[in-house]
Amino acid sequence: MDRPDLKMINRFESFRRSPAFTGFVLFSLVLILNIALQGPDRFFTASNFGLLLEKNTPLILVTMAQAMLMLLGMIDISIGVQLSLVNVIAIMLPQELGVPWPVAWLAGVLAVMTISAVNGFFVAYMRIPSLLSSFAMIYIVKGINVIIMSKPQGTVPEIVWRTYASEIGGVIPVTFVIITVLFLLWIYLKKTTYIKHVYAVGGNERNAYASGINPARVKMKAFLIAGFITGIAGLCLTAMSGAGNPLMGEAYGLKSIAACILGGIALSGGWGTMSCALFGSGFLVMIQSSVYYLFKHLYVWIPGFQVTTYWQNLVSDGIILLGLVATIFTAQTQRAAFKTGLKKQLKGGERLGE
Amino acid sequence: MRQFVRDNQVGMALIISALLFAVNIAINPASLNANTFGSIIALTLLLSFASAGQTLIMITGGIDLSVGAVMSMAAIFTANTMAGQEGQMPLVIAQVVPMALIVGLVNGVGVVKLKLPAMVITMCVSNVVTRLQYVYTQGLPTGTTSKFFTMTLQHRFFGFIPGMTLYGIVIFGIVLYILNRSRYGQQLFLTGNNRNAAYLAGVRSDMVEILAYVLGSLLAGIAGIIGAGYMNFVICQSLDSYTMMSIVAVVVGGTLLIGGKGSYLGTAVGSLLIIVLSNCLAVLNSSDAVRSVIMGGVLILLLAVYNKEKPIRQ
Repeated sequence: MDRPDLKMINRFESFRRSPAFTGFVLFSLVLILNIALQGPDRFFTASNFGLLLEKNTPLILVTMAQAMLMLLGMIDISIGVQLSLVNVIAIMLPQELGVPWPVAWLAGVLAVMTISAVNGFFVAYMRIPSLLSSFAMIYIVKGINVIIMSKPQGTVPEIVWRTYASEIGGVIPVTFVIITVLFLLWIYLKKTTYIKHVYAVGGNERNAYASGINPARVKMKAFLIAGFITGIAGLCLTAMSGAGNPLMGEAYGLKSIAACILGGIALSGGWGTMSCALFGSGFLVMIQSSVYYLFKHLYVWIPGFQVTTYWQNLVSDGIILLGLVATIFTAQTQRAAFKTGLKKQLKGGERLGE
Repeated sequence: MRQFVRDNQVGMALIISALLFAVNIAINPASLNANTFGSIIALTLLLSFASAGQTLIMITGGIDLSVGAVMSMAAIFTANTMAGQEGQMPLVIAQVVPMALIVGLVNGVGVVKLKLPAMVITMCVSNVVTRLQYVYTQGLPTGTTSKFFTMTLQHRFFGFIPGMTLYGIVIFGIVLYILNRSRYGQQLFLTGNNRNAAYLAGVRSDMVEILAYVLGSLLAGIAGIIGAGYMNFVICQSLDSYTMMSIVAVVVGGTLLIGGKGSYLGTAVGSLLIIVLSNCLAVLNSSDAVRSVIMGGVLILLLAVYNKEKPIRQ
């Protein structure tokens, strides 16, 4: 029975039924679109990959943080302004108080973990719906950001942004290493009992409680992990922009949610993996870059074609909206996969007779 | 005492507003005059117009974060079209109503048919509408509202009752009729209470919910026109703060976020509390950042007291 083709088919079948499949299909489609628009010869270069990763690492990391929460059926909209909080602290501490920058950057990560823990406390122990409590947190954190830094200013030490944008051995971008390390963290988590508790609580909180899991503690831990990843994302954003801006990160909140939903993570919780987050954020990244190259082509094809930044902002926000609307398709395919899975469960034994 | 705090939310809101107003007077005795009363009444009315749609939507268990963006857009349309001339009102309405209809439909369909969280889809729509304001005006809105329209809003009867009260009578009448007397209002409460039960009882709950979002956007559009007339100056995103204020006002007014319970008069009292609070903060000379922190804190506090989810142990 050890036929390689059957093995391949089985492997494909199990991938098709995994949460990441819809995200993978969407991602592949826009990837092909992007390659077609940019030209394969220019797409497949080390510098292009480096640039793409450099510009989008904050988004990818933030989506991973959001995915961690969404597995439990929670959403944190304030994740965007939390990025700005890291940025503001990392810039202002050295500038105003003369703190060495590594300490300031550590303080930034700790501050975000604190904010995340406070949010987690409201959600897990005060039982406020996560969307609402994080909506209130947006105002609180934004206020703190503006109190610390009233207008965009400051710089980052040159060594930091040089390292951030560089490639190890001229091939592997540093940002790729950062993402890989965080993904390895997820692979480690997957082997622990904690992640089983996460899926149990995300699937059905009451049943999880009945079987001896403390949902509040599981949620609190998820918020701490998400806060840590957000902190790293904020540092990446600081290194990428090389300056401080109290209002820079706000859009990341919605983008990360859209990316998670597009990647195939169920909003109700308990369904999804970290690969979903990677595919979902990859979809957003690729579609943004496609739009950029489309506009570039339009400039060439239509003489006198002029676009202001206002239009570009509109298009990028419109894409997130369209992306959210597009989830109706992913939801349908998921439902279909779920149904076939259910049928197999009910009929039972049918596969054994093959 | 504890029982009173829990059960009599509107009464609590009234007491707290009175206390805040007393603090306000104590800090700045000069502010005790007819003008202060007039502006508090006018701003409360404006906020309760903005929160009218939010009340409808929250009764169905949803939430609308695009209120502020729709209001700002309507305000820009108003100032731009009127450009200081009389008799342009029909044209303004012809622009604002379709815009609000489209926004409401996208919100409603996104929530009901696509089953996205109300907060996520409305926030996304709100961002798009905000970007549209910049595209439409190139960042610099022009024009002012007509003199007559502004006069009807700003005129003070007996020195302290603002002209906006006349608009208030009409809008309160309509919203109270919808919520308390019409068949649609009954269906709205039923849907918010228990969607499936309402559906089984013959209510087309999908349509009821979508209509709530459409009505909500329309009311926000009207509030935007009135806001533009009252403020008489327009910049992009000028009325965005009304999103947060309307949510807090509705929650203060005793509407449950899970839906099924709520009243418009409660929302009006909530609006009064918010306006008195921000008046107090203005007297204390606090910056926008501090105000934003306080607003967020107030919302968290309210949620912790009144809108907890049921404990898992039950």
